[in-house]
Amino acid sequence: MIAIFKVELKKHAQDKGLFFWMLGLPILFTIIFIAIFTANTDAAMRQEVILSIIPGYVVMFVFFIMISMVQVFIKDRDKGTTSRLASTPLSSFHYLLGKWLPFMCIVLIQIIVLFLFGRLVYDVPLGEPITLLILSLFITFTVTAIGLAMSLTVNTENMGIAITQIIALGGAMLGGLWVPFEMMPDFMQTIGRFLPQYWAHQSFQDAMAGTTELTELIKTLAILFAVGLAAIITAMIRYPSFLRKSVG
Amino acid sequence: MLTIRNVTKHYDSIEAVKDVSISIPEGVCYGLVGPNGAGKSTLIKMIATIIRDYKGSIQFNEKKLNSTLKNKLGYVPQDIILEEEINAIGNLNLFGRIYGLKGSQLELRTREVLELIGLRDRGKDKVITFSGGMKRRLNIGCAIMHNPDLIIMDEPTVGIDPQSRKYIFQMIEELKSAGCTIIYASHYMEEVEKLCDYVAFLDRGQIVENGAVGKLLQQYAVPSIYIKGNISQDKLEQYGTVSAKKDGFLLYTKEPLAAMGKIIAYCQENSVDVERLELVRPRLEDVFFKLTGSNLRD
Repeated sequence: MIAIFKVELKKHAQDKGLFFWMLGLPILFTIIFIAIFTANTDAAMRQEVILSIIPGYVVMFVFFIMISMVQVFIKDRDKGTTSRLASTPLSSFHYLLGKWLPFMCIVLIQIIVLFLFGRLVYDVPLGEPITLLILSLFITFTVTAIGLAMSLTVNTENMGIAITQIIALGGAMLGGLWVPFEMMPDFMQTIGRFLPQYWAHQSFQDAMAGTTELTELIKTLAILFAVGLAAIITAMIRYPSFLRKSVG
Repeated sequence: MLTIRNVTKHYDSIEAVKDVSISIPEGVCYGLVGPNGAGKSTLIKMIATIIRDYKGSIQFNEKKLNSTLKNKLGYVPQDIILEEEINAIGNLNLFGRIYGLKGSQLELRTREVLELIGLRDRGKDKVITFSGGMKRRLNIGCAIMHNPDLIIMDEPTVGIDPQSRKYIFQMIEELKSAGCTIIYASHYMEEVEKLCDYVAFLDRGQIVENGAVGKLLQQYAVPSIYIKGNISQDKLEQYGTVSAKKDGFLLYTKEPLAAMGKIIAYCQENSVDVERLELVRPRLEDVFFKLTGSNLRD
């Protein structure tokens, strides 16, 4: 498992496209949209917008890791790597873990970099850093678990990209990552409350402001964990079929 | 060493492998020969423990072939499956680590394998810069990092240059000398004839015949004479069965030397111009043709 993990991490580190997708683009979007939404606003409103956009875009952009996950797994499946490794003593669990963990590292780094960017450039508060770190770990787990389940389920890369867009952008819209949640229509708020994006965003905002309530935090963590766990179970169910496709 | 008993594998309604039974002794090179779609790769994947849902049994040293025996097997897939963005050493290390090698043991074995596959000077180069032949050699290298007892090779020489092919043959000879048992699936008959001690012919998922290469050649392949010149087919038919081949004729007879003498005498007496007259060694291709009624590359 460690062997696979190391090789994957090395490959990701050489992937300049991944850096742009995971760090360059979110930073660019953050700068542009903060500039747009804070034009002609007073300082209090500007701060409110920034405090919503920074965690909102963090949550939205972490979901784009699913595209890279789909690409890696589909390539492994179609090239025959998955079946090649099935002939070795490496168990399917360790194979999946070896492929999955590097993506978790990338997402975690992405979240830390984006928050540090917010801190350095926009002076956003990071009131409860430990809470932020715990939330980051949970959202990382959830997102990459969904990515894993999707990678083992979709037939083509294009299908994976399309579903990622729906999950990332649809979730961002309904989860209140683009506009304040309370300003959204009631039916959208109802749907939004079923999405991990909403819970992660709300808890990130609370943790940044230093106003986290323990029960709310536990609720968010439980929701994120439950979604992630459901995705892991889906991935385990899908793996035999994924392996059969790789065997040909 | 490896005993395959009544193995059958279906893909939906297609029977890819039908009731196959073969026994592979220790230390031999065993060829699996057949046209594309004959079931070679499916059988190979069953032996390599990749395909597990099949009927029948495969035993390795009288134990059911399962995950615990994977350390004894080395599988060389038909496709080149390497990490192209990392170097040759990285690829060998990856497989070495999967099989439990580490530290100085891993380093030493990596050096040995690089030497064996002839890539000692290219170990630090990324695989993406390698030729097809070099990648094929590295593909084999990854499968032998853990010194397996049984090496399963699925078409290891497809699409490579003669130099790399020769290199791979040398490697296989060295592995055989070291006591490894090798299963070699190919549709190149001449390779199997050159490398293998035993062969099984697969056609439409079934074993048509199997046994020692020499014995099968003796049993099935009739020696023939090739003649090209100003001589008609009906004149040659008095000496045996004749078929046309490359502007000349192939004459099949049980006594080729005697027939050759008679043809020479006939040609001298009748002033027949002969461009080529030669004794043709029986080949596995002829055995396959005799058994299935079709050529391998049909």
